[in-house]
Amino acid sequence: VPFHQQWLAAEGAGAFEDYSLPIRAARRGRFHRPDGAPYNYAYQFDAGLYAKYLRGYSEARGVERREGKVVDVALDGESGFVRSVMLESGEAIEADLFLDCSGFRGLLIEQALHAGYEEWTHWLPCDRAIAIPCANSGLLAPYTRAAAQESGWIWRIPLQHRTGNGHVYSSGFLGDEAALETLLAQLPGAPLAEPNRLRFVTGKRRTQWLGNTVAIGLASGFLEPLESTSIHLIQVAIGRLLDLFPTGEWDPLDAQEFNRLMALDYERVRDFLILHYHCQQRDDSAFWRHCREMALPASLEAKLALFRERGMVTQYREGTFLEPSWLAVYLGQHVIPRHPDPRAGGEGVAAVMAAMRAETAALAEAMPPHEAALGVPA
Amino acid sequence: MIGRIGIVGGGVAGWMAALALVRALPGTRIDLIETEGPDWSLGPFGPAEASLPDFPHWLADHGVDENALLRAARGSFALGTAFSGWAGPEADWFLPFGTIGAPLAGTGFHQLAARLRAGGHALRLADFSLAAIAAASGRFARPSDDPRSILSSYGYGLHLDRAGLAATLRAASGIGPAGTFRAFADDQVTLHDGTRIAADLWLDCSGPAALLAGGGDWESWAEWLPCDRVVESWNPAEGVPPPYGHAGAFEAGWQRTVPLVGGQGGALFYASGHLPAQPGAVSFAQGRRTQAWRGNVVALGAAATLVEPLHGWNLALLQNALARLIGLLPAAPGGPEPAEYNRLTAEEADRLRDFAILHYKTNGRTGDPLWDAARTTPVPETLRHKLDLYESRGRVPLYDEELFEAEDWIAVLDGQGVRPRRHDALADAIPEEALAQHASHIRALILDAVRAMPHHGATLRSEGLIA
Repeated sequence: VPFHQQWLAAEGAGAFEDYSLPIRAARRGRFHRPDGAPYNYAYQFDAGLYAKYLRGYSEARGVERREGKVVDVALDGESGFVRSVMLESGEAIEADLFLDCSGFRGLLIEQALHAGYEEWTHWLPCDRAIAIPCANSGLLAPYTRAAAQESGWIWRIPLQHRTGNGHVYSSGFLGDEAALETLLAQLPGAPLAEPNRLRFVTGKRRTQWLGNTVAIGLASGFLEPLESTSIHLIQVAIGRLLDLFPTGEWDPLDAQEFNRLMALDYERVRDFLILHYHCQQRDDSAFWRHCREMALPASLEAKLALFRERGMVTQYREGTFLEPSWLAVYLGQHVIPRHPDPRAGGEGVAAVMAAMRAETAALAEAMPPHEAALGVPA
Repeated sequence: MIGRIGIVGGGVAGWMAALALVRALPGTRIDLIETEGPDWSLGPFGPAEASLPDFPHWLADHGVDENALLRAARGSFALGTAFSGWAGPEADWFLPFGTIGAPLAGTGFHQLAARLRAGGHALRLADFSLAAIAAASGRFARPSDDPRSILSSYGYGLHLDRAGLAATLRAASGIGPAGTFRAFADDQVTLHDGTRIAADLWLDCSGPAALLAGGGDWESWAEWLPCDRVVESWNPAEGVPPPYGHAGAFEAGWQRTVPLVGGQGGALFYASGHLPAQPGAVSFAQGRRTQAWRGNVVALGAAATLVEPLHGWNLALLQNALARLIGLLPAAPGGPEPAEYNRLTAEEADRLRDFAILHYKTNGRTGDPLWDAARTTPVPETLRHKLDLYESRGRVPLYDEELFEAEDWIAVLDGQGVRPRRHDALADAIPEEALAQHASHIRALILDAVRAMPHHGATLRSEGLIA
């Protein structure tokens, strides 16, 4: 019987998160690399510095960086492939394969090749963000905070040298100035820069690999950073591209398979994000009422119905988020199944659960503080 | 709440269901009602059953002693299935239980093999499978748990006498039959002696007859899987049974052979349009029930999905169905469980259908009308996509609920002689010499390991399974 079913059927078994070592450790500000233990970790970092690091790494291995503004894209008349990009300097850069990493506007995939865009704003209505870094205050939390607001949510990502903050909101429900005010009022430290305003349309490029051009990153689509999936999706796309790397004869099947798999990834992350918005009891704004009442994608509707009724998490082969992630959101959002597994319960279960809870607490307690694990002063 | 479950069918499927339910649901009353006639609960496919490597694990999880079962069911071990006559009238190949080769620098072995072949090296994938080499030389020992050992690179299935298997499962379940089936009406079964039995949920394990589930819609696979007649057989034989089953194609179908201690269980599958009626032939319709779970009746085994057992997959389908059913036991009336069960069951059956069709679609028997037609018949879209991608560049896309992994698909495709037009660009990044070295290293490891392995007969003898 799955653990969460036992927990659902048990009485007085404490909070679900009491049985999660990463949550316990995060709440206590502690961290230790798993060394084979059954939990994972990820990073919080400055994306600009990360890009700089990658640039140095790549250049040291022979990647040549050419700076310039692309003013024109030359397409092959017959195949429609991108032959070259023309820089403002007049220089043309040719290649067999182009990766469009130009961000949301999709310089090649959209502006030159018109791949088309599938909008998901009816399910994920946020379309603006304001980001602003501020000074650190207090301890370095080993987790990202996503706090729901009246018409969106605010992220807080603590780094060693500063804290990243941002307000993701829906312009249909909240004005830009009000959004900024809300963000500034909640900054945990003094602002370190001017606010950076972003606009986006949630969705994905209809075709992410078209001809000899593969869109990677925001050029391939946009999903808000609620579950920090952007870099993950970049990683997945790179892996799939290497798996299906063109061999020179351009069999359209390569692109077709890449697009099929990436669409699955995007749709499954999309459903996971929608879940956060849909399953809530907030009655304080039109935004949340809208999210609660909106029609869901059929794929999510079925998953949610199965969990609501029976506490079961739909499993599949491709997809970023596995059962523990879905459980955390379902239960975190108070989606409590009407009927747990009829097999749950029985003699001895309560004692086993109590022991698990105590062990989880003790293991979290034994971890060093996050600062110590990073080797920075607390 | 389900307080009482009735099972109709006292064959392998019924007793396996009984054992699984008794262990998973100690508080639930389980009644098993026997049916008359031969045990076709997994299909009329011969008196012997072959399993995939997950079955021994299932037995261990359900408290069945493997050696006791082997003794009761004249059993022996299986390292895979030999296929002859499929890739061509005289060609054969082996589908092993275990890995083939090993990846190098993140590139799959079959991609490396494609690169070597492009460089003029002739090779056979099965030569890089420990299970295949051990099978060919008649050797068997249970695999090692040590992941660093090459002896952990394979698994094993079992060959079992159907009646002995059913009897062992029955004994392990600890329950006896409630009586013999006469009729089913108004959610109640009437026994031969007139007793009526009620249950909250009925499991139909009565085979193709589908005594309870029979009224529902059936999705036919006949356009892709042409065999519609089968003749069961038993041939006594002396000596040590080979540690693998055999599927031999001929003009009008194929012959299944499952070797046991003391004889071979067999089944001759053929298409009625291509061979005159054979004595003892039974007709059967390959396909699946559109809804395996309808109302309070769940069809299991051949009552749910009827597909010729090219590889020992029928026990695996049943195993998965039982696990799914137990996980989705209705908690309240009108819940979502049956729909989810049907979605997963249909998905799994359709992917298995694709795997079975693959053997026909890629056959190399030119000139035989049945096989020529099988080669040219358009296949389901899901299989088409797999074939296209494999033929293009040796990749096998897997969908949800696949029973077989990419490696199994590749073994069949390669055995049937399907060669990708291109190989992964990444394989080109490895020097050819390093590839050749990698391949010969694996080959040497396997040969050494097989040389040190006892013969199948010696293992059977040391376990007390043969004299």
